[in-house]
Amino acid sequence: MYQTLLTTRYLTSRVIPLIAVGAVALCVALVIVVVSVMTGFLDMVQSAGRTLMGDVIISYGISGLPHYGALQEQLEADPNILGATPIVDGWGLLRMPYPDSKAKQSETVQVWGIETESFSKVTDFSSSLQWKTPTDNQRDWLLLDAIKKNADEVRIGMDDAQWNAFVETVNTASSTLNFANANLWEDIKTSVTEEQWEQILALDERLSQPELVHKQGLALERNGKPGIVTGLHVSDGNERQRDGTYKVIRNDYWWLPRFDGTLTMLPVDSQGGIIEPESIIMPFVNEFQSGVFMIDESRIFVPIATAQSLLHLDAAEIIDVDDPTVVLGVDPARATSILIRGVEGINAIELRKIVHGIYDEFRASMPDNTLVLPPSRGDPGLSINTWEEQQRSFTGPVEKERELMRTLFSIVYLVVAALILSIFWSIVFEKTRDIGIMRSLGASRAGIVWIFLQYSLVIGILGSALGLLLGWAITKNINGIHEAMGNPPLALAISAFVFAGATCVYTFVRARSGMMLPIVLGSIGLITFAGIGGLVLFIRYIGGLVIWDASVYYFAVIPNNVDWPSAIVTVCGAVLFCVLGALIPSAKAADTDPVKALRHE
Amino acid sequence: MSDTPILQGIDLKKTYQLGRLEVPVLHGASIQIQARAWTTILGTSGSGKSTLLHLLGGLDRPDKDSGDVLFKGASVWSRTNRQINRYRNHDIGFVFQFYHLLPELNIFENTLLPTMIAGSKLPKAQNKAKATKLLDQFGLGHRLSHRPRELSGGERQRAAIARALVNDPDVLLADEPTGNLDEETGNEILDVLSELYDGGLTVVMVTHNNEIACRGDVVVNLRDGHILEN
Repeated sequence: MYQTLLTTRYLTSRVIPLIAVGAVALCVALVIVVVSVMTGFLDMVQSAGRTLMGDVIISYGISGLPHYGALQEQLEADPNILGATPIVDGWGLLRMPYPDSKAKQSETVQVWGIETESFSKVTDFSSSLQWKTPTDNQRDWLLLDAIKKNADEVRIGMDDAQWNAFVETVNTASSTLNFANANLWEDIKTSVTEEQWEQILALDERLSQPELVHKQGLALERNGKPGIVTGLHVSDGNERQRDGTYKVIRNDYWWLPRFDGTLTMLPVDSQGGIIEPESIIMPFVNEFQSGVFMIDESRIFVPIATAQSLLHLDAAEIIDVDDPTVVLGVDPARATSILIRGVEGINAIELRKIVHGIYDEFRASMPDNTLVLPPSRGDPGLSINTWEEQQRSFTGPVEKERELMRTLFSIVYLVVAALILSIFWSIVFEKTRDIGIMRSLGASRAGIVWIFLQYSLVIGILGSALGLLLGWAITKNINGIHEAMGNPPLALAISAFVFAGATCVYTFVRARSGMMLPIVLGSIGLITFAGIGGLVLFIRYIGGLVIWDASVYYFAVIPNNVDWPSAIVTVCGAVLFCVLGALIPSAKAADTDPVKALRHE
Repeated sequence: MSDTPILQGIDLKKTYQLGRLEVPVLHGASIQIQARAWTTILGTSGSGKSTLLHLLGGLDRPDKDSGDVLFKGASVWSRTNRQINRYRNHDIGFVFQFYHLLPELNIFENTLLPTMIAGSKLPKAQNKAKATKLLDQFGLGHRLSHRPRELSGGERQRAAIARALVNDPDVLLADEPTGNLDEETGNEILDVLSELYDGGLTVVMVTHNNEIACRGDVVVNLRDGHILEN
């Protein structure tokens, strides 16, 4: 077959097919990497929310679900359900400890009143808590706070000289600590007696038991009083670093667990009217990070009883309107939602069905004389959703982003397709005279098209296979590559400059002959190498380059799983466009009269 | 003339479209090619001589209201595409002024190409032997694996003639075969054609050169698309 011979020769005796294979490979790799990273990113955003929601959510936002405790028990009795936890959900204002002046900043927050024990079962609350134990710096701040608040107590048993020295130490540390680490802990420990040290440590139990920071967060209380756990981005004091870790600004000065906050909520009466706002001062006990920025910037956790009392959803007596002295019964405490986690292996949709059944049973099991009945399943205010459905409402912007990304991807696809089409168009166009020759020797039109079909198939398959490999390799190692790009080694700059020098010499030597190509290529090489070297030096000078800035994307690592369905579509699409790009012009050339094709220069 | 001509052009018209302009090149030219004769079509550049050759060789289609080309008495242009392909491949051998060898194939492969296009009924070895023999005959036996660009103009034209002959055509159509060569090399090529003619091949050659024209048995003068005299 002359077609196979020609295809082989066209493929092997020219540089253009190599360039085409490279171009196809780069295009395919580009699309695979971009799509994989973006898809991975969106998946991470969605699944991160789940860890704080459970699998199925029953909610009755209007006035809350009465008798939720009974419902929770019935849910937990089902073998398919791992745990259920009531939530009181509402909005509030949180007065933050900063700034230092009297006028403090307030944040609008979504308050979740939770029952810590069951909540930990349903969600990953425990592992989402940011502070396990205080750092040395944070411990010094706690120590300083304790001493300043209880100065009189600390002074007991010290003479004036010792006290003056002690105050000196504390004051020095307190001014140093704002910008640098001070060795307050050791300084004080060595300057006081063991007994005094014991007394000082007793001022704040977190000093002697650092793990209490985590425990208090889990229990939402300190010294038996309710505490607040806030999302990590509620406080402006937390600054995300490039590596995804957090730093508290002013050298841990604004570490939230040092302070108290005032939470104000607006309770609503049974008719939906607004009653006087309620406030409570509570200590911050810890902070949490879910990984979803929208949650981390606005959600706070308080004990469910606190939220209920702030929102007037706690149990209350029902009194006769006509005679306020007659108590008709008790309006039970309410929860606005119940989060349910299924056992391993059950999917959310199945679980929702089970929950439907349990809810119906729960409502039917209410005694006849119940004063306040829970809503029936037909009540439009009652919803039983899977976490995905629930997510949809508040990750709407993320969904929109995904749509936007899809649109952008399709543009990328189109650009790539147009590129591949034009490469093949020019390759075949250049071969028009050959087509004329073959036609004049009696080759059929189909025979001509077959040559270029084979040609484009080989390039398309080879190119996209290479692209797939390249895309896979880049995606898998994207974090390493990112790291290396952020901190390029000096050796790279040096070798780039060496190459630039060599290219420079080469260009000068070859330029003497007066030929233009060596000058052009040499200049390109010189600019490229010098550019790489300069870029590396610049990146090193500015202290590293970060493309995937964890402080913007809220994930410490770039997703590195190849999105195989998209990858396969991309590969097939690339091959298809190679074939189309070759078929159209070759069919056109084969259709022209041989004489016209022969005249083609 | 007693014999039926092997190739006949009857009232051939051809108009080219140059943008919006219609350029008539042939105004009803008729020509008869006798078997085993050397016919030279002589004309100045632009007289339509190449176009006439293309029409005869099945490379270009005459105008719709035009006559036809008859090969061995049968119409060429009323054939199917497949049959025209076969006519180009099998019945006619074409030699061009600019050789038109495929640059990616070596001389041997270029020569063999028409047999491969034909799907070669003959066994491959026989085709190869044929190609080798032809190239040997034209003094290219040592050049088989060379690419066209490594050859001189004369060598390329000889390779092109070998290619034209590999399928044993009845007629060899040569379009200014010496037009791109110096006089000496051109004469070498003409000598090759003479040899073939002596061997019984029908040769039709187009030229603008009066000196070369005298090589043929019959000289057909073409001016402005009209045949002047035989």
